[in-house]
Amino acid sequence: MNVPSHNFLSAPLWLINVLHIVTLSLHLIAMNFLFGGLAVILLGRIKQRWQNPAVLRYVKLLPTAMAATITLGVAPLLFLQLVYHRQAYSAGIVSGWFWLFIIPVVILAYYFLYGAAFTKTPEKHNGRYLLVSLLCFVYVSLVYSTVFALAENPELCRTAYAANPGGLTINPDIGSWIFRWLHMITGAITVGGLFVGWVGKDDDAVYRTGKLFFTWGFATASVFGMIYLFTLGEHLLGLMRTPAIWALTVGIVLSAGSLHFFYKRRFVWAGIMVMLSVLMMVYTRHHVRLLHLADEFEPSTLPIRTQWSIFLVFLVCFVAALGLVWYMLKLFFAREQNQ
Amino acid sequence: MNYPFWDIDIGYGWLMGGIAIVHVFISHFAIGGGLYLVLAESSARKLNDSFRLEFLQKLSKFFVLVSVVFGALTGVGIWFIIGLINPAATEVLIHNFVWGWATEWTFFVVEISAAILYFYGWKTMSARNHLIIGWIYFIAAWLSLVVINGIITYMLTPGEWLQTGDFWDGFLNPTYWPSVWFRTGICIMLAGLYALLVASFFKTDHSKTSLVRYNAVWALVGLAIMFPTFRWYFSNIPGTIRETAAEAMPVVTARISEGWWLGGAIAIMIILFGLALPRFFGRPVAVVVMILGLLWFGEFEWMREAIRKPYVVHGYMYGSGIEVAELESLRSDGLLPRLAYRTGDNGADLFRRACRSCHTMTGYNALKPRFDGTDQEFIAAMIRGVGVMRGNMPLYPGTETESQLIAVHIYNQVDKRPLGEIYGLTGAELGRKVYDIRCGSCHEVGGFNDKSSSMVGLGDDEYNDLLDMANDISEEMPAFTAPDEERAALIEYLKTLSQGGSR
Repeated sequence: MNVPSHNFLSAPLWLINVLHIVTLSLHLIAMNFLFGGLAVILLGRIKQRWQNPAVLRYVKLLPTAMAATITLGVAPLLFLQLVYHRQAYSAGIVSGWFWLFIIPVVILAYYFLYGAAFTKTPEKHNGRYLLVSLLCFVYVSLVYSTVFALAENPELCRTAYAANPGGLTINPDIGSWIFRWLHMITGAITVGGLFVGWVGKDDDAVYRTGKLFFTWGFATASVFGMIYLFTLGEHLLGLMRTPAIWALTVGIVLSAGSLHFFYKRRFVWAGIMVMLSVLMMVYTRHHVRLLHLADEFEPSTLPIRTQWSIFLVFLVCFVAALGLVWYMLKLFFAREQNQ
Repeated sequence: MNYPFWDIDIGYGWLMGGIAIVHVFISHFAIGGGLYLVLAESSARKLNDSFRLEFLQKLSKFFVLVSVVFGALTGVGIWFIIGLINPAATEVLIHNFVWGWATEWTFFVVEISAAILYFYGWKTMSARNHLIIGWIYFIAAWLSLVVINGIITYMLTPGEWLQTGDFWDGFLNPTYWPSVWFRTGICIMLAGLYALLVASFFKTDHSKTSLVRYNAVWALVGLAIMFPTFRWYFSNIPGTIRETAAEAMPVVTARISEGWWLGGAIAIMIILFGLALPRFFGRPVAVVVMILGLLWFGEFEWMREAIRKPYVVHGYMYGSGIEVAELESLRSDGLLPRLAYRTGDNGADLFRRACRSCHTMTGYNALKPRFDGTDQEFIAAMIRGVGVMRGNMPLYPGTETESQLIAVHIYNQVDKRPLGEIYGLTGAELGRKVYDIRCGSCHEVGGFNDKSSSMVGLGDDEYNDLLDMANDISEEMPAFTAPDEERAALIEYLKTLSQGGSR
């Protein structure tokens, strides 16, 4: 029977990789603002926390940050599945219940964030509401780390499935994800420190709290990142031979640079450097995935059948979307014209 | 077959349906509600109607909490669940339509941003700017429907794509346009019904009656779009799909005519209580009308999914994730060598791949009651002949040896006592049960592929001969392997069938 094949990429692989890496970086920035900032607000020592205007301002931004995190998370997941669908779906199925449970957990976290943002008695409710949200995010981060680490080990995925096909398995190779996960969450708290300090730049106590978390978070995330690199074993050597090692180096330098600018209270520069640093880390991460999967899967062998007409539609809509969001923000903040 | 099979006790249909129904209700409401908000705000501002502006502000808070949070996340939930229950089909959709999805994502970004700014901007923005953002929200939300509609309709009516594999052939398929407008009608109707529900909680006065009338017009406009476009949609479904569905799934097609009645009932109630007697538009009426509206929409979605059976992409891939083009090679070479994920229990693995997408043993679409009191040989023959059963089942995708392995797996879980003992039946009643189990899946008395009229008036010997040569009549028909007691009971039952096939 002559039927069309669906086993193809509808754009060159490099383009899909670029889109994946860029959108994932944006997602991580939004996630860091949300998760990291939330952790800093809850764990930091801020006197009369729930009466502090800077803290309350940050809390009010959290539901919007959540919307941004979700919205920006859709695109990288789409591009990831386009290339690594076999690995991603298989790992998702092995941990099926945990994976699916992400949805109600995120809904719960979202409503508690809104609960905190809308409450008229923050001193009474915010701590509890935000703690629930934070715990939900810890769950989501843990499942993401375990599932995507499992996706990079197809052999383990098959063994784990054979042992339990009911979707109740958490990646049993703890060494492959624990430091990766710790690096992710401490990294998020580091960037959260930057954002809290930025939002609270006019309040010395809040700025100092942000600075503390930024500094110590940077140190801790670096340690976990290093340990994670060593857990790569033979792949570490492979990584050294790819451009990713340069990206990693630049990423570390940029992180240190952002810390420097944060200390100088030049927040825009600190933010730009953090963003670029995250981009470098995601690029490095992309190479680590390729190395893990090298024995089983080589994305460059996928047939390419381009769909330029619809890609052009996407591109036009993407540019228009950016323009519209910019235009709407302009309208929103055009207070001088407001009633 | 490149993926593991998520083996859970809950039926996939329930899991998918549970998430999808909630999502489609909210997502359509989010589009219609956006148009409602911006038009109602525009009119309220012109009239300087503070009552209505306050109502709209409250509505938009609820709107954000429902659509931005629940709507968006259940949408992501659908994506999660399809990747779990049918990764092969998800792979087909993503590979063919990734730029469609990516385009929809750009609208999603605008929609979510606009929803948040619209909500937070009530008190801080100028009326003009606020309305501009409201319009941007609605247009982006509707455009996301326009895009996703192409992917949804492709699954039932892939049209020319089956020959060309071209994006636009699949996207702008035969049901694309009618579905866009039908769904737009649904969006407007739901917005009207929801606004009516909210208005029904208000104290009855002049403001309320005027609001009820306004909202009623919305619901009626939605209905006015839905009636003709539903007909258009249905007529654009290829005749072969409609005829097969009507023959093999009469319950599904019966729901279509039910839809017309539901639509009519909604229209009458809205004209009566919304336009003529708005003072009496209380909560009970609003709730009933809302339920009827959701029921009609729900039935449409269910019908659309059901008549696609046994495919997930019509004519291309079965619901089990097996491609139609692979079938021949699978039937000669077998499924087992192609399974990338195996557990060591071949019968269970084959059962999962061939049957579990639609059946569980004891829960959703349960197989145990269908095979209790039968035997391994019968089960294996039924598996091989599934393609001719009522309910639009896919063709069996494995070898004969593999059907035996599946049969053993199923047989190990069924009740092995005779049917008479299991159900406490004797005589013609037992015969009816034997018929239902051994014959009824392919020959429903008074229904699908009914052959009872040809068996009326035969003698015992002729019935016995018929049962003895069952396997020779057609390749798919299993041999009659039941014990003598059940054979006698079946003959007794067959004798009770009157001319015309009724019981």
